[in-house]
Amino acid sequence: MKFADFINTDSIQASLTATTKEQAIEELVQSLLDAGQIEADKRDDIIAAIMKRERIGSTGIGRGVAVPHTRHPSVDKLVGTVGVSIDGVDFDSLDGERVQLFFLLISPPEYPGDHLRALENISRQLRDETFCRFLKQSKTADDISQLLQEADDNQFATG
Amino acid sequence: MRVLTLGAGTVGHWIAELLCGKRHDVTVIDIDPERVRQINSELDVQAIQGNAAHSAVLFQANAAGADICLAVTGNDEANILAASMAKAMGVRRSIARTYSPVYHDSSTFDYQRHYGIDSLLSLEHLSALELVRSIRNPEAIPLEHFARGMLEVYDTEVSPQCSSVGQRLREIQLPAGVRIGSIERDDEVWLASGEDEIQAGDHISLIGIPAEVTKARSRFHTASKRSKRQNVLIAGGGQTGLHVARSLPHGEFRITLLERNRKRCELLSKLLPDVTVVHANANRRSVLEDEGGGATDYFVACTGQDENNIMAGVEARELGARRVLGVVGRPDYANVVGKLGIDQVVSERDVAARQILGFMNDGAVISYRPMPKGKIGIYELEVFPDSRVTSATLTDLPLAGRCLITAIESNGFVRGPKANDQLRAGDIVVALIDHESRDECVALFKNP
Repeated sequence: MKFADFINTDSIQASLTATTKEQAIEELVQSLLDAGQIEADKRDDIIAAIMKRERIGSTGIGRGVAVPHTRHPSVDKLVGTVGVSIDGVDFDSLDGERVQLFFLLISPPEYPGDHLRALENISRQLRDETFCRFLKQSKTADDISQLLQEADDNQFATG
Repeated sequence: MRVLTLGAGTVGHWIAELLCGKRHDVTVIDIDPERVRQINSELDVQAIQGNAAHSAVLFQANAAGADICLAVTGNDEANILAASMAKAMGVRRSIARTYSPVYHDSSTFDYQRHYGIDSLLSLEHLSALELVRSIRNPEAIPLEHFARGMLEVYDTEVSPQCSSVGQRLREIQLPAGVRIGSIERDDEVWLASGEDEIQAGDHISLIGIPAEVTKARSRFHTASKRSKRQNVLIAGGGQTGLHVARSLPHGEFRITLLERNRKRCELLSKLLPDVTVVHANANRRSVLEDEGGGATDYFVACTGQDENNIMAGVEARELGARRVLGVVGRPDYANVVGKLGIDQVVSERDVAARQILGFMNDGAVISYRPMPKGKIGIYELEVFPDSRVTSATLTDLPLAGRCLITAIESNGFVRGPKANDQLRAGDIVVALIDHESRDECVALFKNP
């Protein structure tokens, strides 16, 4: 699976204003709403579901990256977005580092396989230091889109 | 029915006893030879010593020929593994008890679906739900089996001031996912339809998720508004205490949680930002006094030990707590606690029993519970492949007046049905069915 299969480029945020975990999730979900990717009356429920998942264990996977996600019946295909925070947000990550790079994913419950493949794709690509660093240094949404495109074309990850 | 119980510990032994008493054919597997010897000598069961997650052992226990498998050992992973294998080997319905809340969260990984298990039961969660319900909606009828306990039915009287009086149901705006199930008027009960008109004094049943049902209820019954935030003091921050603290709406309740393990306290205060977590032993009278045990509206004892819960409950009662609730597992204590002034006791064994007896049904019926007055039942039904209900939209099925579908669970998510909804194989529905039409309606969900 490629980023292009589930990342909505219109909702990418190159400079998140959030200073807390919950705000960061709200900001990203809101940008998916503004891009017409989710239904307005489902916004709060989706945020609550993602927060509920965070309480079981942070999706901050270290090195300044977090992958908040949930499955939700209101979406009929995988939808995701990317956000970058210049100052970083405390996300209770395992390594204690502030999170600068967010990949948020919402999946329909019918396709558990696709959900796992999308998470796997994100994790695999983010193993590449250069890709991570470039994303964190991105100034605009277009820069981020382009990096994702390059990753899809196998210009970063080795495996 | 042929029942396979995995684990002969406290819960397993008791389930075996309960089901033997109901004349089911019970086979028990346990890894401990002493337990196997004991259960063999006490109950009329077939007991096998071995690891229930080993295929040879399951095969020997004739898992392939069993109607239901109940995996209730003390180990979550063993339960999941064994229940999954039993299902694959041919058990019709497979249920696993799990303690850790992780298995009930499907946002990263859908355990239940991946392992092909019909139901993952958390007795701690269900006990907590019962405690929460008796604090929030004491008269509600719980639907424990369905949607991991997420639905409830609430019977409410329509007050004369209610703005919906004189309106047809189809004109009434209810919170999302809440339905009016039945109407009772002048000793008559019937399934609600869109054309029914609400009258003052009617008893209506509201079905949906608890928070929304509470909202809907205040629409019809105006007098019950709580004036101020109430205080809840919880003794013990294990899974049950955590669930209770998490499930009570923080706008309505001010919650204090006592936990004596410092590490656990640190975790709890992270998990429960709106709750006052206090590192203290709830069994000290001075602690209860300091933390307002006397002035609290609700005292909930769930320390994990019967004796401690009873003692703390008695102290809280004496200090002046308004209502005292607690978890007490041993059935021989049940008689005593009432006399000691504890208002309500929840036991994991009773919770387990209700769950499991609910599962002991044939065909499409997963569980059943009668509504008050007896004319209507609440059914949880499984949609079989190629069954009649999958062939048309809900409005086009011959259900009107006999069977009211109130919620649909699909892939672990619950939704309220719409007129053009069509059921799919594997969906689970909660429906109110008129007793007289039970067999005809249930048949629509089964294979032709």
